[in-house]
Amino acid sequence: MFGLIGHLTSLEHAQAVAHQLGYPEYADQGLEFWCMAPPQIVDEITVTSVTGKTIYGKYVESCFLPEMLANQRVKAATRKVINAMAHAQKHNIDITALGGFSSIIFENFDLEKMSHIRNIELDFRRFTTGNTHTAYIICQQIEQAAPQVGIDLRQATVAVCGATGDIGSAVCRWLNTCLDVQDLLLVARNRDRLLELQAELGRGKILDLMEALPLADIVVWVASMPKGVELSIEQLKRPSLMIDGGYPKNMATKIQHPQIHVLNGGIVEHALDIDWKIMEIVNMDVPSRQMFACFAEAMLLEFEGWHTNFSWGRNQITVEKMQQIGEVSRKHGFQPLLLNPQ
Amino acid sequence: MTTATATPVLDYHSDRYKDAYSRINAIVIEGEQEAHDNYIDLAKLLPQHQEELTRLAKMEARHKKGFEACGRNLSVTPDMEFAKAFFEKLRANFQRALAEGKTATCLLIQALIIESFAIAAYNIYIPMADPFARKITESVVKDEYSHLNFGEIWLKEHFESVKGELEEANRANLPLVWKMLNQVEADAKVLGMEKDALVEDFMIQYSGALENIGFTTREIMKMSVYGLTGA
Ligand SMILES: NC(=O)C1=CN([C@@H]2O[C@H](COP(=O)(O)OP(=O)(O)OC[C@H]3O[C@@H](n4cnc5c(N)ncnc54)[C@H](OP(=O)(O)O)[C@@H]3O)[C@@H](O)[C@H]2O)C=CC1
Ligand SMILES: [Fe+2]
Ligand SMILES: [Fe+2]
Repeated sequence: MFGLIGHLTSLEHAQAVAHQLGYPEYADQGLEFWCMAPPQIVDEITVTSVTGKTIYGKYVESCFLPEMLANQRVKAATRKVINAMAHAQKHNIDITALGGFSSIIFENFDLEKMSHIRNIELDFRRFTTGNTHTAYIICQQIEQAAPQVGIDLRQATVAVCGATGDIGSAVCRWLNTCLDVQDLLLVARNRDRLLELQAELGRGKILDLMEALPLADIVVWVASMPKGVELSIEQLKRPSLMIDGGYPKNMATKIQHPQIHVLNGGIVEHALDIDWKIMEIVNMDVPSRQMFACFAEAMLLEFEGWHTNFSWGRNQITVEKMQQIGEVSRKHGFQPLLLNPQ
Repeated sequence: MTTATATPVLDYHSDRYKDAYSRINAIVIEGEQEAHDNYIDLAKLLPQHQEELTRLAKMEARHKKGFEACGRNLSVTPDMEFAKAFFEKLRANFQRALAEGKTATCLLIQALIIESFAIAAYNIYIPMADPFARKITESVVKDEYSHLNFGEIWLKEHFESVKGELEEANRANLPLVWKMLNQVEADAKVLGMEKDALVEDFMIQYSGALENIGFTTREIMKMSVYGLTGA
């Protein structure tokens, strides 16, 4: 049995979803209420691989909202994550992906120290951040979507916004080792970590976001921001490819320009329909087949019987591990989301 | 404990702490007394479980003694008058259900609501408690899980016939819980316990119990927040 711990992107989103699902008691509530709400299993999932194997899973809504971080409700945020994990374990889920902000909160607030919760001892081997698969899928999107829009990677400048993060650093490693790109721009706020990454890679230019954007043929957005950046077309190179892997999205503005191509980052499409309701809620274009790559990682680990925290900790994702998860991703019928042919 | 940020340093001997403790400690003592009385009363409705219920009642009496010792240890006199008033409405509802022979309602009030409330409060109190009270509370909370379990098992076995009664009892009693929580919010805070954490932990326990009994997620989501925002 696999599990997915998820959350909604904003209070407004949560209210709309509660309304849509017929929970008026939740729909009319403010942030205060969500800070008190307990985790719930709100969906049961059946997935079949192209190999024919079928697995079952549960979706745990943690009731975390990004506003909790923005409004200094850190204790509430950490409770949501830990309680959702305890909930998953109590329901005997073997491997659970920590979706969206869950793994970021887990790491940033050092929740590994809080393994004892009520009468439960959390077993961290039952959880995965799903970041190895996410990073792999984003790299596939770079590789496959660039030619779709006429960008030649060998001459391309790629900016990674959130380069020093778990996913961002993995993407940089892959770009450095497996692809032949002209230039790599490293964007994040903390300079020490940027210098460390630059030293590890032996390349890459450290730039501010606003300096990097006009130079980049491809921008990979993998920063952990509770609210996205407002952008205008003038700040971006034309043509360019934006791969937005943030959840909530790093790009707050919907860019509409024929030469700026925006792709949902870290999203996979399964070859077969999946019986679930949740992906509709997070606004996937094809909710029966598309999902976050981190969720798909929990499914892959379940398909393969790898009941272990495949992705864990920070900045430890290797190219080998990405290749390993990529192989089983293809084997079971997952494909990176690409641009719709115009 | 479910928070990651550093635990605030509490001065267990300050007047402020002791003043808040005089009410919280009293509530706990009174709660254990009520629990004791309720299990004795429940045995009248469930004579076939007489032995088990007497055993639970005895545990509650022991818990009460333990918490009385916690008060003495800090030289605090519990404000029992406050605590009696605090439980009055819930107690009246229990007594009415008892008189009407409504076993499911009695179990919901004692074995689900009061026990979940106790478990939530004790779990959040433990990391904040003085060393003496911490030890006692740790052993108490283990017992409370088994009390919750007793109620769950009986209600699960009779789920089909008592479902409607439970929903009604939930509507009548859960709003009281929120009011009670609001009443002690400030005192609990002095003891290092946050209201939203208490509510969340209570809902986790209570929802889990409803789930074990046989309610669906949809039903639980509606039942467990009933009256919360009106409180
Ligand atoms: N599609 C999917 O399946 C998944 C998507 N995600 C999403 O991917 C994103 C990244 O996740 P993850 O790698 O785990 O996060 P991390 O916390 O490990 O890394 C975040 C990175 O963003 C940088 N960053 C944060 N804020 C800013 C800012 N304002 N400007 C520039 N850089 C910033 C951080 O560096 P610094 O603090 O120094 O600025 C760091 O480099 C998140 O939005 C997450 O929700 C995550 C998992 C799966
Ligand atoms: Fe007790
Ligand atoms: Fe009890």
